Amino acid sequence: MLQSVKPRRWVVVLYLLIPVALFIFSVFVPLLTALYFSFFEWKNGQSIYTATYNGLTNYKQLIADPIFWQSFGNNIYLVVACIIGQIGLAFVLVLFANSKLAVGKAVHRTFGFFPSTISAVCIGLIWSIIFHSKYGLLNWFVVNVLGGTKQAWLGDSSHVMLYVSIPLIWQFIGYYMVILFSAIAGIDQQIFESAEIDGANGFQTAIHITLPMIRSTMLVCLTLCVAGNMKAFDSIWTMTAGGPGYASYVMALYGYTVSFQQSNMGYGSAISIGIFVLSLLVIGGSRLLVNRMTRGLEE
Amino acid sequence: MKKLTALFLTLALVLTSVAAFAATPVAATELAYKGTLKIMHFSTSEESEGNGGSDGFRTTLAAWKAAHPEITLEENVLANAEYKTTIAQYAGAQDLPDVYLLQGMNTIAWADKNALDLTEIIKASPYYADYNTAYFTPFTVDGKIYGYPVLTGGTCTVVIYDKAMWAEAGFETFPGTWEEVEQAAEYFSGKGIDAIAFGNGGKWQMNSDFISTLGNRYTGPDWFASLIAKSGAAFTDEAFVAALKETKHLFNETKIFNDDFNVVTNEDAREYFISGDAAAMIGGNWDEAYIWQVLKDTNEEKFNNIGFAVLPQPADATFAPDSQNIGLGYAVAINPKVAEDPDKLAAAIDLAQELTGPAFSTFVAENYALGGLTSAGDVDLSKFDAITAAFYNWSYVDTSTCEIYDSYISSAVWDVFNTEVQAMLNGEMEPEQVAADTQAAYEANY
Repeated sequence: MLQSVKPRRWVVVLYLLIPVALFIFSVFVPLLTALYFSFFEWKNGQSIYTATYNGLTNYKQLIADPIFWQSFGNNIYLVVACIIGQIGLAFVLVLFANSKLAVGKAVHRTFGFFPSTISAVCIGLIWSIIFHSKYGLLNWFVVNVLGGTKQAWLGDSSHVMLYVSIPLIWQFIGYYMVILFSAIAGIDQQIFESAEIDGANGFQTAIHITLPMIRSTMLVCLTLCVAGNMKAFDSIWTMTAGGPGYASYVMALYGYTVSFQQSNMGYGSAISIGIFVLSLLVIGGSRLLVNRMTRGLEE
Repeated sequence: MKKLTALFLTLALVLTSVAAFAATPVAATELAYKGTLKIMHFSTSEESEGNGGSDGFRTTLAAWKAAHPEITLEENVLANAEYKTTIAQYAGAQDLPDVYLLQGMNTIAWADKNALDLTEIIKASPYYADYNTAYFTPFTVDGKIYGYPVLTGGTCTVVIYDKAMWAEAGFETFPGTWEEVEQAAEYFSGKGIDAIAFGNGGKWQMNSDFISTLGNRYTGPDWFASLIAKSGAAFTDEAFVAALKETKHLFNETKIFNDDFNVVTNEDAREYFISGDAAAMIGGNWDEAYIWQVLKDTNEEKFNNIGFAVLPQPADATFAPDSQNIGLGYAVAINPKVAEDPDKLAAAIDLAQELTGPAFSTFVAENYALGGLTSAGDVDLSKFDAITAAFYNWSYVDTSTCEIYDSYISSAVWDVFNTEVQAMLNGEMEPEQVAADTQAAYEANY
């Protein structure tokens, strides 16, 4: 009976061929072409057929480019802010929502998840209005409730990265909540009951039981969070276009600016490869770090 | 009955055609080409509301389409910001549409590779005698012309102010010096409003709508001409650095402008003016068109109080105190690949000629009191309201002109300049550093 429904090998291969071909075409081909173009001087609307091979010149320029490294620093800032803000807060909120006292769990889940369904450009526009210095909600609150003075929030170079992080945190907190909700739901309830009988408080239960038992889900969340923030672009572009000056430049935004606003495709390709390599390193590094840090907890 | 219906339908068709031609009578030249012609531009329907150049472009394009039913005109219309990015991508991939709008600053880089040399074709144009040939300068490289300057010759730097508000502050006309503007700013600040609204959130506004004119007051026109020709001038020259210092002083050290000038765009700045949160704004002719349209319909008193002025003169500037930057920033260009088919090329040339010819100029002159590449003769200002007439006189009669910086050189240079100027105005960079970095980008890319 089982044999009769098992598809033949060539049918399996044929079905797999389509998604694999699409994956190769949309992921590996652009990556390889970017790698190829990164060895050329290709700028000012010049055709690729007339571009000049310049070896490692673009990479030498990249290594010495202070704007690229400032942008990388801003990406790291985003990663840290979002690990704390997205995953950290999501974990705390999930614990609250899972407590016996919480009511309307489905409502929390739905409304929490809602912002992650909105496009990043719309998120950027919504928060631009909230941060607007003359007509924004935030300044209304500061002036009328706190008695302070109006601020040009997004014009403050020193804190602009914090302000552009807030919409990203707001957008994805619900996304991680949904993942953590389902991970915690998979833990045997008897373990929590035993802990309660043993006198463990909520904090102790969270640290010594919940966190170690959802360690692998946390690692997935961490990978998604790091990867997502290493390629952050849309909402920041909408809110500040990287400004003031270079203050809120992130790597993808710098790559876009160099490629399409400065029409320097060769160097832009080198920046793309730089983003790819650095993202792999940061994702790998963060996974390694978390693995080491949580090994003790698991034991 | 059938005959009567047929007659009625024929009459309706003829009248419709006549009506379409009556609006913008493009020359219905006999063209041998029968096929598709692709054009890419940024005159969206939203853009054309109240904007004479865009409205004229769309109207003329529709008339040309109607006059040549044998040609399928495929339009790709994007908003201006998206247009600039997309056209650069197409240029890089050598995949430009048959006809497109070339930005002045890309002319040198795109000449021959992406834009066909049109010198002889333009000189043979039936409208050549009526062309304002000065408009060709940004699209000319080594004596060769690569496009028909298009849209309207509008200013990029105009001070639009509320006469009543400034009279209240003690100024019957707009101040001629920045010192006087600073005095007025004290008065307006006391009332909780800004003296002048400005929006540099898009980064390009400070260049196009301010420094391009203020820089000319310090350097004079020869400096920029030398910069274009690469004949010795540099961004690090003392006079230009002085212009940057003055800009930094005005925006960073006085209370003249709105605090959020580096965050909001010109669209926000004009709303500050319209709502009365600012007594004036600095922008381009597109801002004037928007303010005119909104106030005309909503606030007659404020509409009648609109005044126009040039930038006040800095105390240490020595050139043209009545100057403003005006010109045509784009030109209709033709993809060199089109030349492979002579019939198609003839169609593309005809389209370019009509989009910039008398049909377009007459439309914008009669409906908006604006001018384009082709002269439409003297504009009868008696047909327009006082504000439109005043803006026409201010733009074309009462002021002297200077160049729009970013119609020339290269986007790679201006992107560095615009970004660093934004940082400078926030007090994070010195004018000398901005000038040095821009000069480095100029030497590397131009």
